[in-house]
Amino acid sequence: MSLDTTPGATTVAAPKAPTGRTRGIGIIMLVIGLFTALVFGVGSGFSAHSALTFNPVSLTNAPWRLGTLTLLTAWTNVVLGLVMIGLGLGVAVRLPRRGVMARFGFVAVLFFFALLFWAARTTGPSQINFVNLTAVLIGSSALAMVLIFGSLSGVMCERAGVVNIAIEGQFIGGAFVGSMVASTTHDFIVAALVGALVGGVLGLILAFLSLRYLSDQIIVGVVLVTMLGSLSSYLNLQVFTPFPQYNTGNLAPNLPIPLLSKIPVLGPVFFNQTGFFYVMIVLVALVSFGLFKTRWGLRVRAVGEHPQAAASVGIKVIGVRYANVIMGGAIAGVGGVAFMASQGQFQPGYTSGLGYIALAALIFGRWRPSGAVVASVIFGMSVYLADNLQTYQVPVPTEILGMFPYVITIAVVSGLIGRVRPPAADGLPYRRD
Amino acid sequence: MRLELRGITKRFGTFTANHRIDLTVEPGQIHCLLGENGAGKSTLMNVIFGLLQPDEGDVLIDGVATRFANSGEAVRRGIGMVHQHFMLVPVFTVAENVVLGFEPTKSFDRLDRQRAREEIRTVSREFNLEVDPDAIVEELPVGLQQRVEILKALSHDAELLILDEPTAVLTPQEIDALMTIMRSLAASGKSILFITHKLKEVRAIADVITVIRQGEVVGTAQASDSEAELASMMVGRDVNLTVDKAVVTPGDEVLVVTDLVVRDDRGLPAVNGVSLSVRAGEILALAGVQGNGQTELVEAIAGMRPVESGTITLRGTDITNHSPRQVLDAGIGHVPEDRQLHGLVLSMSVADNLVLNTPRRAPFARRGSRNLAAVNENAEQLVKRFDIRTTSTRALVSSLSGGNQQKVIVARELSRPLNLFVASQPTRGLDVGSIEYVHRQIVNQRDEGMGVLIVSSELDEVLALGDRIAVIHGGRISGVVAPSTSRETIGLLMTGAHVESTDA
Repeated sequence: MSLDTTPGATTVAAPKAPTGRTRGIGIIMLVIGLFTALVFGVGSGFSAHSALTFNPVSLTNAPWRLGTLTLLTAWTNVVLGLVMIGLGLGVAVRLPRRGVMARFGFVAVLFFFALLFWAARTTGPSQINFVNLTAVLIGSSALAMVLIFGSLSGVMCERAGVVNIAIEGQFIGGAFVGSMVASTTHDFIVAALVGALVGGVLGLILAFLSLRYLSDQIIVGVVLVTMLGSLSSYLNLQVFTPFPQYNTGNLAPNLPIPLLSKIPVLGPVFFNQTGFFYVMIVLVALVSFGLFKTRWGLRVRAVGEHPQAAASVGIKVIGVRYANVIMGGAIAGVGGVAFMASQGQFQPGYTSGLGYIALAALIFGRWRPSGAVVASVIFGMSVYLADNLQTYQVPVPTEILGMFPYVITIAVVSGLIGRVRPPAADGLPYRRD
Repeated sequence: MRLELRGITKRFGTFTANHRIDLTVEPGQIHCLLGENGAGKSTLMNVIFGLLQPDEGDVLIDGVATRFANSGEAVRRGIGMVHQHFMLVPVFTVAENVVLGFEPTKSFDRLDRQRAREEIRTVSREFNLEVDPDAIVEELPVGLQQRVEILKALSHDAELLILDEPTAVLTPQEIDALMTIMRSLAASGKSILFITHKLKEVRAIADVITVIRQGEVVGTAQASDSEAELASMMVGRDVNLTVDKAVVTPGDEVLVVTDLVVRDDRGLPAVNGVSLSVRAGEILALAGVQGNGQTELVEAIAGMRPVESGTITLRGTDITNHSPRQVLDAGIGHVPEDRQLHGLVLSMSVADNLVLNTPRRAPFARRGSRNLAAVNENAEQLVKRFDIRTTSTRALVSSLSGGNQQKVIVARELSRPLNLFVASQPTRGLDVGSIEYVHRQIVNQRDEGMGVLIVSSELDEVLALGDRIAVIHGGRISGVVAPSTSRETIGLLMTGAHVESTDA
């Protein structure tokens, strides 16, 4: 009997990302590209053209004027479609390890614009034959900002192992209180702080019930959302209806950044925003840095992945979870105030599921702040378009577009596209024993 | 470090897990704590490591009575523990795992990864434990993961290392490597407390052996004592360590598995082209380190997991992808690996659990309603025949000890005529007495002409029971050998090495 020892024979094979799923994403990108080229491109007829304009609606901070770019709808969309097909082929054939989701996001954004060009074509049913790029980006950015606040809140909680499904409720609470405080103090900083407090208290309730009494985190979260929805409707009726002065005129002012805000297109989108927008940018950087570069982040992630291991080296698992869920709640509370400040007032039910879309963005973004930003931009844009496509009289129900974030999330969660892997202890109760 | 325990007592409600335990570990000594599962070893370790507080008694470190409020304090005082289930974050790098809780930082709380790497390299060199600090832990083989655990303890300046059943997940070669590491650590002055129930290992490495039984120290022993002496101390009576088997000529093939491919929960192929057969009157023992596809293979045979490709036949009938009910009806008895999850309904009585596989059949049910008298009579008989220790057949099965729970499953599965008996880890977590009993039952079935497939990660069990031994590695059968084959050869097969002409 002779023995042949294979060198490097190991007992456990390293888990690898299934290539089939990456290929699936590539193929989906390819199909979207084909659809764009054929339906939005060839299908719009070669005589149609669409106009692309760049000047923002409010010209106070735009010392520049850009002319109108007239595009041949068919050719533009065929080219966009080909770019998308190229990206899809690149993913499907070369199976890159990184940046697949970012490319998918880029294709989604191109698809939205192709849809807009098609809707605005001269031969279409719509009276409006132009697409205002700057306005689309500004409108989408307001929604994306709120989603980013929400998904950052989710990152904070879930990286520590607690599922915060109550983001929607924290939005509602923040929006309601924010409107009341902003109306009385006329100070958005105070409003944001009080919003953070309310969100933080809601986080504390979630943390207390799920960490102390080991209640199911999903159920506690849903209860909180339902409670806040009803409570805010009731208080709206009791307070805001008889005293409308407490719920009015709360549109946050834009704070243009000198010089930068004057850049064409990019200026109005990135550098002439409300204070909330800038706070959001800083928060993304902070959370990203904190989670992946600091001792604090290492410990938080350890608690979310393997709480027993964290406890065995003296890390206080429950304490970390409390802190993160409260901080996460506070971030979502500020997000609620930010949403209110972009609408000017509070209305019952007007968050209309943004908190859940933020949760979807968190998953699509793979529990990373940077990924959550990419996902929030795509989802923000799709929500914006769903809300605004009626003006183009598109013969497709706008609800179809509104479904986009959820369809994508189901595809991601079910493993149809991409591989997502939540923190290993996400949503599991921890018992010290 | 000198660790001394004086009269440690720990109670959980009315149950006393540790009773007045005295124990001393001298510097540079390898001290073995030997005891059966449930003897109170883990409780004692958790007391030393600060995870539990003793009700009475003192822990003395270098002569000073000490109490740890949590394990972090124990670590700071130089106690390191290598847990049976590794306390490692799988998605972190080796460096991140080692420094967790003791991170070197730069300004703004930033991790100093460079220093972390250097610290690990220093400790690695000092104790001759090579590991790449940037490797992701889950991508390392189990043996190396354990090395990371040891490194982690050493980098926190541990003077006393507690190793809790460290060999359960290792191949024989990895066990040898671990023993070498333990010896060199002891030689450099570290104290080692080694917890196990495996007699061979104890005899190979111990300087001092303390045996505990039912929460009490029953005495100390020498490494030179025989296995039988150690076993009888551990169990409290004489134990027959070998299994008596008559020679039986096997009959026709009962189970034939051909080119089977089965995926695991993550969708990756766990069983990757396995072919094997079990004949009537034969025990085929499937050996292998845990996680090499055994679980998925058995689940596929039992109808609990879909088969991707390949076939399973039972006495010539294709049963590939049959439902569990169809598999039961075809005459396969199955003792599942996780008895509490798949073997029993814990919230039901012993009597009901004893008919779980035949609830709709006469005499236990007729025209859709149950015949409780028959169920109870069946239970009374089986409890007597299989010596199941329970207060009553109506008691909840969750109130039984692990060994008796396993007896309930074995009794149920063997209480009807079978073609094939499949048992996964049939004696895991059982005391030596129960192991003897379950082994005898398995051999009896084989003597009566049944085909038996045993899956076990305990090499001793495989060698004692198997008429032929199939070794599985990475989802493939790496060899089929006779039970007379050396442990070393089987160990090599368990690492995937190829052995020529292995027909048995």
